[in-house]
Amino acid sequence: METRTQPEHKASGGVGWAPFIFLFPFLLFLVLFWLTPLISGVKMSLESNGLGAVEFVGFEHYYALANDERYFKSIRNSFIYTIASVFLILPLSLWLAHLLQSTFRQLRPLLTFGLLLPALTPPAVLATLFLMVFHGREGLLNQLFILPLGLNSINWLKDPDFILIGLVLQTVWRWTGFMTFFIMAGMEGIPKTYYEVAKLVTSSRWNHFRYVTFPQLRSVLVFVSIYLIVDGFSLFSGAFVLLGGSGGTADAGLLTISYIFQKTRFFEYGSAAAISISLLPIMLFALFAFIFLRRRH
Amino acid sequence: MKNSYFVHSSFLRSSFSALLLAPFLLAVLYPFLWMVLGIFKTNHEFFQPLRIWPMSPFNAEYWRVLADTFLPNEFSIGNIQDLVFGKWVPFRDVFMNSIVSSFGQALGAVVLSAMTGYAFATLKFFGKNVFFVIVLAIILVPRQLFAVPLFSWLNTLGFNDSIFGVIFPGVITGLGVIYFTQIFRKIPVEYIQVARICGASEFRIFITLLSLIWPALLSYAMIHFVLAWHEHLIPMLVLTTDSQQTLPLALAKLYDVSQRTPQGVQMAASTFSLIPTALLFALCHRKFKSSLSEMLVH
Repeated sequence: METRTQPEHKASGGVGWAPFIFLFPFLLFLVLFWLTPLISGVKMSLESNGLGAVEFVGFEHYYALANDERYFKSIRNSFIYTIASVFLILPLSLWLAHLLQSTFRQLRPLLTFGLLLPALTPPAVLATLFLMVFHGREGLLNQLFILPLGLNSINWLKDPDFILIGLVLQTVWRWTGFMTFFIMAGMEGIPKTYYEVAKLVTSSRWNHFRYVTFPQLRSVLVFVSIYLIVDGFSLFSGAFVLLGGSGGTADAGLLTISYIFQKTRFFEYGSAAAISISLLPIMLFALFAFIFLRRRH
Repeated sequence: MKNSYFVHSSFLRSSFSALLLAPFLLAVLYPFLWMVLGIFKTNHEFFQPLRIWPMSPFNAEYWRVLADTFLPNEFSIGNIQDLVFGKWVPFRDVFMNSIVSSFGQALGAVVLSAMTGYAFATLKFFGKNVFFVIVLAIILVPRQLFAVPLFSWLNTLGFNDSIFGVIFPGVITGLGVIYFTQIFRKIPVEYIQVARICGASEFRIFITLLSLIWPALLSYAMIHFVLAWHEHLIPMLVLTTDSQQTLPLALAKLYDVSQRTPQGVQMAASTFSLIPTALLFALCHRKFKSSLSEMLVH
């Protein structure tokens, strides 16, 4: 990812105990609050549901999941939600960053901060505002856009066709400004000389973007995508406030984390852990894809 | 900023970009404006429907109706008082809990990730590659995913209903380690070599370098603070007493329809929940951006 990697042999002064003193605090917390719960999750997924005395049930929870329609629905929803938000947010924030960079310099901080504001707001608040402002026949979105277009007003909370779209819109609202900020930071780091060379070759602004800006922003874009994907899979707060922890009408908005949470309400800890563990292969696949991408350049 | 491609945008192009940005800004900020004005509204005013369709925007009536629905009849602070003096939830406790928990997580995350990042960038040790893969795995497996075993393990450790049960898992961050590894790699290797020749211990070198990278420390602390401020699931499982809870939990409770909290109080709580993070960003987002662009340069 970086062309200026240090030759390691030059920097390897600290042989002996030094590295472990630096790594120890992190390792301690890692083992205590990440690795142990993960392993105990594997154990938990093999035990019966309920509190108190549990017995070993083997892969029973996993077999149950294989026949659980709601489980597949929640995974499908989480996938759609995550992928839709990445593909909407990335181009939009690239464009907004470009616009912000080419507008008046005095206006720039104010505009950026305005766009950034939703990212600073707790998702619970965003969900509520979204609902109150856009929801119902009287909501702004319906009054200004949907009704004048001659369409029926949308019930964002009850209509199964629109619950997931509503969640995606919220995410776009939440993260676009923040990602714009990251992309702007990346753009400002691109050396001007690259553009000077590009201008000698072509005067088309699109080509400058295509052959200089975009390739130079690669590491920012990879970071932004990973951030959004991880955030998409761990979304809870927004959906919880909007749908009260349920999946909404016909489970149209049931996300994986919400489903895990529902299981805990009935103390079905074994099933809940099995859902979590069943997602690990997906994450591992993403991990290898990530390492592969890093290796390639 | 000096080496940017965009410095020489013409006046026309700048205006055109501003014009294109305006609707986005309006769409993003409108709900926030509505939230702040909502503090002063009664429930009746709050739910007063906006009925401007099918009026024409070229009619004065359109704008009168818009202003009427939008603005409160009077600016009274009754709702803020109700909220702050704990009529609905112990708001001051909850707010302080959130500050303590987010600050603790930000501080812990910065210290741990900076130390680990330093080791990754400048030291050689056994199992470095394996450890790096683990760090990537931490990024990809968010702790919300295994919230249930984490929660029962925290119970076993005795962190039930304790703020530390939220802080301790929250200081582990893979993103932070990667971030600080990159930051320390940008420091010229000669600095470190000279320090080593002069006989400085690794720890001494680390502490000295921290003063060089403080914008990066601040930036990461800020971003981690925001993430911790928004965390909902883990606190919800761990913290059970009302006065121990954090803001997102209190907000969810206020929003719950069965609680019948006045809308104005809900909006006041929402507004307060935004102030610390917004303030933090407003104060240091330039520093943050320049430290990011430095890191992202190839």
